[in-house]
Amino acid sequence: MHELSLATSLINLIEREAAKSGFMAVLEVQIEVGDLSGVEADAFGSALELLVSDTILSGAEITILRTPGHGKCNTCDREFLMTTRTDTCPGCKAFPSEISGGEEFRVVSMVAE
Amino acid sequence: MCETCGCGTETHDHDGHTHTHHGLTHTHDHPNKKVVNLNMDILSENNRLAERNRGYFEGKKVLALNLVSSPGSGKTTILEKTIGKMIATRKIFVVEGDQQTARDADRIEKSGAPAIQINTGSGCHLDAKMVHQALLKMEVENNAILFIENVGNLVCPAMFDLGESKRVVVISVTEGDDKPLKYPYMFQTSNLCIINKTDLLPYVDFNVETAMGYARQLNPNLEFILLSATTGDGMDAWINWLKRQ
Ligand SMILES: Nc1nc2c(ncn2[C@@H]2O[C@H](COP(=O)(O)OP(=O)(O)O)[C@@H](O)[C@H]2O)c(=O)[nH]1
Ligand SMILES: [Mg+2]
Ligand SMILES: [Zn+2]
Repeated sequence: MHELSLATSLINLIEREAAKSGFMAVLEVQIEVGDLSGVEADAFGSALELLVSDTILSGAEITILRTPGHGKCNTCDREFLMTTRTDTCPGCKAFPSEISGGEEFRVVSMVAE
Repeated sequence: MCETCGCGTETHDHDGHTHTHHGLTHTHDHPNKKVVNLNMDILSENNRLAERNRGYFEGKKVLALNLVSSPGSGKTTILEKTIGKMIATRKIFVVEGDQQTARDADRIEKSGAPAIQINTGSGCHLDAKMVHQALLKMEVENNAILFIENVGNLVCPAMFDLGESKRVVVISVTEGDDKPLKYPYMFQTSNLCIINKTDLLPYVDFNVETAMGYARQLNPNLEFILLSATTGDGMDAWINWLKRQ
């Protein structure tokens, strides 16, 4: 459910941006979804597939780039990869850590004509 | 069928780049194609509308609170009791997004505050545009409190800024004290956590300190209020919190 409304947000954004520049078709879109963004990348991709027909994105090649979660431990300063927001530090087991990557949920670019 | 060349075969080559749609591979020329760097947050439109709402609230000195919880944690009951206690001294308005019970807006109006029900359809959260549209239908007076009861869901509403002054997450003691760990994003984005239905503490396995400990780890600035909307226990602390904002 969540991903459907997020997919609608993306389609609306692309339609607005394409209209601004007078594009008739969008051929490619690059999206970035961070592992800690709260968005399930696969479900988001499926939701898009379901919704793009009859929009300017119909037929477009949609690439979803996953960015890994990064954290820096508040206790020992160790930097490590995070798969969830509640991961503890692998060094000292402390929590929480400062999240420094993986929260992205954005459109990087599009190819349009 | 390939929309560009009209041919019906699955794979064929023209000069130019290759792309796939509907499982078919094609190659065409797209002489006018342009690469556009967008670098935009997908929720940027919502964020923009949320900032507009926020400006409107600040201009009118309205305290706008976004109430989020799982279904049935007691948001509507808390609002009914709060209105009963405060309406004599403070203007209160309510935007109802929760549809667990179809009559939430009626319940609110019966307790004495104007309410407007937003129809979210199958939507799992309110967004800034829905709140904006509700505000067009209901004139919120200066210095009032506006309660926005979000859809019962601790996942989706976390990502959608409504332009609220503060976010209040409600959990009830029947939901398990590890709730914060299951929905970290919501607890990280909230300002106050109400632990409701404390009248049921003797009957359930819920350790208040454990729940607060988890939530504090996620968000050291989170405030807490223990409440029983049913018995009224803790209502004074909640009302005082509202007055302090
Ligand atoms: N025992 C107890 N029940 C409560 C309390 N607050 C709400 N409830 C009950 O919980 C159910 C759901 O409440 P409601 O306010 O509709 O929850 P909402 O979905 O968050 O708006 C109702 O049956 C309420 O009577 C409380 O403090 N104690
Ligand atoms: Mg309700
Ligand atoms: Zn550490």
